[in-house]
Amino acid sequence: MSAITKQSRSHLLQSIAVAVVLIAVWEGACRHFDISSIILPTPSSIVVRLYALITTGMIWPHLWATLIEILSGFALGAVAGLVIGAMISLIPVFERLVYPYLVALQTLPKVAIAPLFIIWFGYGLTSKIVITALVCFFPVLVSVIAGFHSTDKDQLDMMKAFGATKWQTLLRLRIPSALVLIFAGFEIAAVLAVIGAIVGEFVGAQVGLGYLIVTLNFGMDVPGVFAVLIVLSAIGLAMHGAMRYAARRYIFWIRRSEAPVML
Amino acid sequence: MMAAVAQPERNAYGSSVSKLISGKPAMIHIAGLEKRFMTRSGETVNALTKVNLDIRENEFISVVGPSGCGKTTLLRILAGLESASSGVIQCDGTQISGPRPDVGVVFQQATLLPWNTVLTNVLLPAHLQNDKSQARMKRAEGLLAFMGLKDFAQKYPFELSGGMQQRVAICRALMREPRILLMDEPFGALDAMTREAMNMELMRVWSEERKTVIFITHSIPEAVLLGDRVVVMSPRPGRISEIIDVDVGRPRSLQTMATSRFGEICDHIRTIFGAQSLTATSL
Repeated sequence: MSAITKQSRSHLLQSIAVAVVLIAVWEGACRHFDISSIILPTPSSIVVRLYALITTGMIWPHLWATLIEILSGFALGAVAGLVIGAMISLIPVFERLVYPYLVALQTLPKVAIAPLFIIWFGYGLTSKIVITALVCFFPVLVSVIAGFHSTDKDQLDMMKAFGATKWQTLLRLRIPSALVLIFAGFEIAAVLAVIGAIVGEFVGAQVGLGYLIVTLNFGMDVPGVFAVLIVLSAIGLAMHGAMRYAARRYIFWIRRSEAPVML
Repeated sequence: MMAAVAQPERNAYGSSVSKLISGKPAMIHIAGLEKRFMTRSGETVNALTKVNLDIRENEFISVVGPSGCGKTTLLRILAGLESASSGVIQCDGTQISGPRPDVGVVFQQATLLPWNTVLTNVLLPAHLQNDKSQARMKRAEGLLAFMGLKDFAQKYPFELSGGMQQRVAICRALMREPRILLMDEPFGALDAMTREAMNMELMRVWSEERKTVIFITHSIPEAVLLGDRVVVMSPRPGRISEIIDVDVGRPRSLQTMATSRFGEICDHIRTIFGAQSLTATSL
């Protein structure tokens, strides 16, 4: 156990070292070749800009709006994916009637229908929440269906041989089995949620980090754009980390190396 | 009572248990059993054809045969997991039509639920009957102690070796105190050393808790070592080609495998397979 943590600690140190070297090269190259900050700002100027965005309080309303969009959209999409996925998996009629349409809808690039949602739901948070929810919905839906299909045949036989009812088999075997893939779906959806919210804001918004990027870009404030990008990737990492943590806690019997690693 | 008959330190060869209890009527009666499957291309495959077998109470029956001889299908029908296409398959005079509470099954894979502790896994058959009584808990703990798993009750299956997992599966099968124990190549996935140890363990269980055991294997020595009788099956179509009395006394040990009578019986079974011009996939 301690050998593993020691190993992962040295891996962490190595990746930090790589990052430090890359940033140093970036900074040095920008200064040495005198590159315009509109094309590529120096890391130090990005950090200064980020600090200013935070201390002036300029970023907070945008960060807050985007976080609400991401979290509500993810929650909405995940719950819808869970419910509809479970219905498709467990009710044969539902699978026959609904699934083909869902597949058709899934092939549609969600980004392409974002402008429609702005028209339907307005410039406020609602349209972004709906877009985010739709983007999160499909990976969760697919993972729920795959999860329920992944129940081990031998274990199903075992439950049957010991006289389990359908309901008992569902609660004691099929749902826990499905959790493994469902969490993989959550992991994908968590990262897609950030994309969904930002795309929605690009299409039309009055507040949010995506809106802020567009505004700063328009004002040629490239260090500011980079600063917001750092905030966005921090949100993405936090979402991903939260999902990993939940997975380790709730599907503890899957060792990390065996889990379906996505992203 | 059966245990009293079968337990004596009777080492003299030729006094098989099955002969001692041959006066009893059959517990499991199989006559003219057929099982046909439809393949996807629409062909009919005879998985089992004209199977006749009577099994007495507390008898240990080994079933041996190459892949595709229908031995697993036979066990699945006995377990109530599949239905027969035609023929009689009765337990105590009633046709087997589904899973029965007095039957315990051990599969090739341990099929433990990975999210449950060892103890919860053993308790599963009781939980499925909504029986959460203290007595069941005592029974589960007793079984685990008997199998040398006392200290592992609160562990999870992934923390156990393959042999230990299969011992947990045996505990689970014994949980409801079944009269019949069905075992489908339970040690097939284990290495040779663990397998021998498990064979000894199983004989210890069987001498302690007498049951009717139907034990499927593709190892001839394992079949002969454990069984009162060995049912030899052959494929295409799956059928019983011979039923052999193992007239080797009990208790048996790994040394039994070195005796000449044991060797003769194994050789005889190999001859049956040889006569079917099959390659020796069976050992």
